Amino acid sequence: MQGLLNRPISAAGIVALAVAAILPFFCHNYIVDVALTIVTYGILALGLNIVVGYAGLLDLGYAAFFAIGAYTTALLETLLNFNFWETIPFSLLFAGISGIIIGYPTLRLRSDYLAIVTLGFGEIVRIIATNLDITGGPNGIYGINPANLLGHDLTSPKSVYALGLVFLVCVLILVIRLGRSRLGRAWTSLREDENAAEAVGVPTLRVKMLAYVIGALIGGLGGSLFAARFGTIDPSSFTYAQSVSILIIVVLGGRGSIPGVLLGAIIIAGLPEALRFLNLWREFVFAIALILLMLVRPQGLWPARLRHIAPPSAEDAHATPHAEVAEQIAETTAGEPDVLLEARDVSRVFGGLKAVSNVNFTVHRGEILSIIGPNGAGKTTVFNCLTGVIPPSAGAIIWNGKPLAKLAPHKVVARGLARTFQGIRLFDNLTVFENVLVGMDHRFHVSLASEMLALSYARRETHLHHAAGRNWLEFVGLTAQAGLRAGDLPYGDQRRLEIARALAGQPQLLLLDEPAAGMNPTEKQSLMGLIRRIRDLGTTVLLIEHDMLLVMGVSDRVIVMDRGQVIASGSPSEVQSNPRVIEAYLGAGEDEDEDSLAAVSEGAVA
Amino acid sequence: MSEFIQLVVAGLTTGSFYALVALGYTMVYGIVRLINFAHGDIFMVGAFIGWTVLTAVAASHMPWGIGLLLALILAMLLTGGIGVVIERFAYQPLLSAPPLSILITALGVSIALENGVLLIFGAGFNTYPHLIGSEGFMLGGAHITNIQVGIIVLSFLLMGGLYLFVHHTFIGTAMRALAVDRDAARLMGINVERVIQITFFLGSSLAAVAGVMEGLYYTEINFFMGFVVGLRAFTAAVLGGIGNIPGAMAGGLLIGLLEAFSAGYISSRWTDVIVFLVLIGTLVIKPTGLFGERVVERM
Repeated sequence: MQGLLNRPISAAGIVALAVAAILPFFCHNYIVDVALTIVTYGILALGLNIVVGYAGLLDLGYAAFFAIGAYTTALLETLLNFNFWETIPFSLLFAGISGIIIGYPTLRLRSDYLAIVTLGFGEIVRIIATNLDITGGPNGIYGINPANLLGHDLTSPKSVYALGLVFLVCVLILVIRLGRSRLGRAWTSLREDENAAEAVGVPTLRVKMLAYVIGALIGGLGGSLFAARFGTIDPSSFTYAQSVSILIIVVLGGRGSIPGVLLGAIIIAGLPEALRFLNLWREFVFAIALILLMLVRPQGLWPARLRHIAPPSAEDAHATPHAEVAEQIAETTAGEPDVLLEARDVSRVFGGLKAVSNVNFTVHRGEILSIIGPNGAGKTTVFNCLTGVIPPSAGAIIWNGKPLAKLAPHKVVARGLARTFQGIRLFDNLTVFENVLVGMDHRFHVSLASEMLALSYARRETHLHHAAGRNWLEFVGLTAQAGLRAGDLPYGDQRRLEIARALAGQPQLLLLDEPAAGMNPTEKQSLMGLIRRIRDLGTTVLLIEHDMLLVMGVSDRVIVMDRGQVIASGSPSEVQSNPRVIEAYLGAGEDEDEDSLAAVSEGAVA
Repeated sequence: MSEFIQLVVAGLTTGSFYALVALGYTMVYGIVRLINFAHGDIFMVGAFIGWTVLTAVAASHMPWGIGLLLALILAMLLTGGIGVVIERFAYQPLLSAPPLSILITALGVSIALENGVLLIFGAGFNTYPHLIGSEGFMLGGAHITNIQVGIIVLSFLLMGGLYLFVHHTFIGTAMRALAVDRDAARLMGINVERVIQITFFLGSSLAAVAGVMEGLYYTEINFFMGFVVGLRAFTAAVLGGIGNIPGAMAGGLLIGLLEAFSAGYISSRWTDVIVFLVLIGTLVIKPTGLFGERVVERM
């Protein structure tokens, strides 16, 4: 909380809330009523912002959760004589359950399909409310009691407004804390690149589900408030148009930006009131204004800023017990077998094409092993099979003596296999430091609740976590760039950041997919040094690379693949003189055996 | 049996509207990855242009066949033009912006079109001139009207024509190239902006035909009619696999049949619930829709 006061925007936000709090003392009831509508939309939009802004998913049926909260409060009050406060846990419960119901089928869908599925869900809820007798059909439910506090019914606009403002502040604290937590970071990584997030250990399906559920809880809370405010509800408040309005608030205000979302709520809920004098033209003018605003500010009126987490200082970081990574790795790997990984008859078929067929190889602990081969030889497919991105069609992968059954990529990461990608896949709109933190968050074992409450032990653990992250940046030489946007880094730095992100999970085996691609000779030299230092930490390295100077200079052993098969393996010098290898690279009929390898390496470097 | 045939014909008729509108969703999505939420309202605008022309024709003493042809052609041209104008001013500047921004302008266009028509034509129902009566013939005990046959035949002709256009003309090839890779298409010398405009024109004119036919079939139109049809057509496009032209046609007809059967055998109050449950169920089993191809992402 003290961090909040240090920032000018947070200070301005607190002033704005204070102004909102004293509004009823000098304003007419009509203004207070409009302000209450803004507050309600603000709560709903903050909830939808988790789904749309933080996690980058689409939800066109958000009003359904609003409806479920409102109907739960209305039904429990009118049928079972619950009071307002007693209904709230049930509103949250039912909204949360429906968040799971809507989340589940959408987990595997691409975002464009989410639009219609969520829209459909919203319509289903509304139609059910319209068609059932218990919900009062199209007429809805009357006679909902207002909230009661210390024996006083909160009926006057001013008292309901105060209640709404309290709810808004609670939701605000929740979403701000969530946004800064490890879960918030996971949501952002999901928004930036879902596959990369999964590959560095983010359990993307669970994280998506949590976005829907927490968004739903906030929607349900908004619904309860709505029911208590009006005393009567009917299906016409929970239409597709309502969902669209909430979505417009989030996008117009600025996805992921809390001040933006609140500004959006003020505009979308307040503007129609301000335009009342236009009568019939009101909606039309509103629509044109909306289009123009989006054209002028496509990112929203108040776009989210880059989230900054300051890494601890050098002295601070080095003083932490987590600093000695090599010791830690030695501890975790003590007593494990010497053969770290074994591929047994691994095959992968795409349609009719055998990309990988019956590949066998072993990776020994502590070595640097390279896989080389012409383009299309199946090297990256082997990586994808090892890391769980695609299941092998046949064969087994033995990890530390046990078969690695078909695990999701994030679980493979948790077992200790981390990877980088052939085409760089960073989370561009996160800082360099946060990219590394995403890579290590799966090792962070403080509960989310204690992290959000900033309990002292959680703060200590967070500090250690950040110190370790800083050390990884130092390891690859990016400490000075920690606060930059990852997408703004030059190419070579992006490659090194990707390696740091993978290393940060402290893998036993690091898989590097063409790390030298696009690097200049100087950068390649320092990459060679980096790979050796990674091995010296105790991390085994499996490398796919076309650059022969690098491969031959750094590898303990080399595996050569061609057309999906392993055609040779051995020490760099053995492989260099193997005739099948030379044939694979230069084609059959070449006689200049002795010179060809020189040609191979020259050509690859050039 | 007679009820079954009756429902099949009714389903194919409404399914034809959905299919024609779904084509617009799917073509635009295939090319610019935009879910054009204003497309249902484009359909509505087409219905109103057709109504304006037909009312004028009914007042004169033109033969109704020529009047109808005139109404269809004018509705197609004007609505297509409106589609192009919307693309030019509301969508084109945002094609490289985050996808949600353009979605919001599409929603804005939708609200603007509905309220624009409301301002011009009023909030009530406008009645289409009764050019084609309810004459028909009996088939297996079911009464099939001439207008139902006309709607189904015209829709199939248009859909077949569109399929031939997309697969056998230079512009159609360019459209398919754009759908695969817009930048590569531009580098190959394709005028990308022009092809996008043609796509919007085609999609909007097909929706206009559906609008005029719906006016003739149900005889009443109003400014809000685009919502339900747009929603069903969008569902149809996704069900068939969005971006896939034959998929949109099949999806539209399937949704039409589903709607007719659920209204006939269950209750029209639950139609939307049934349609959406079928859609969600289909997507859970086959996440890319019935005819959509799985997109393999390279790692």
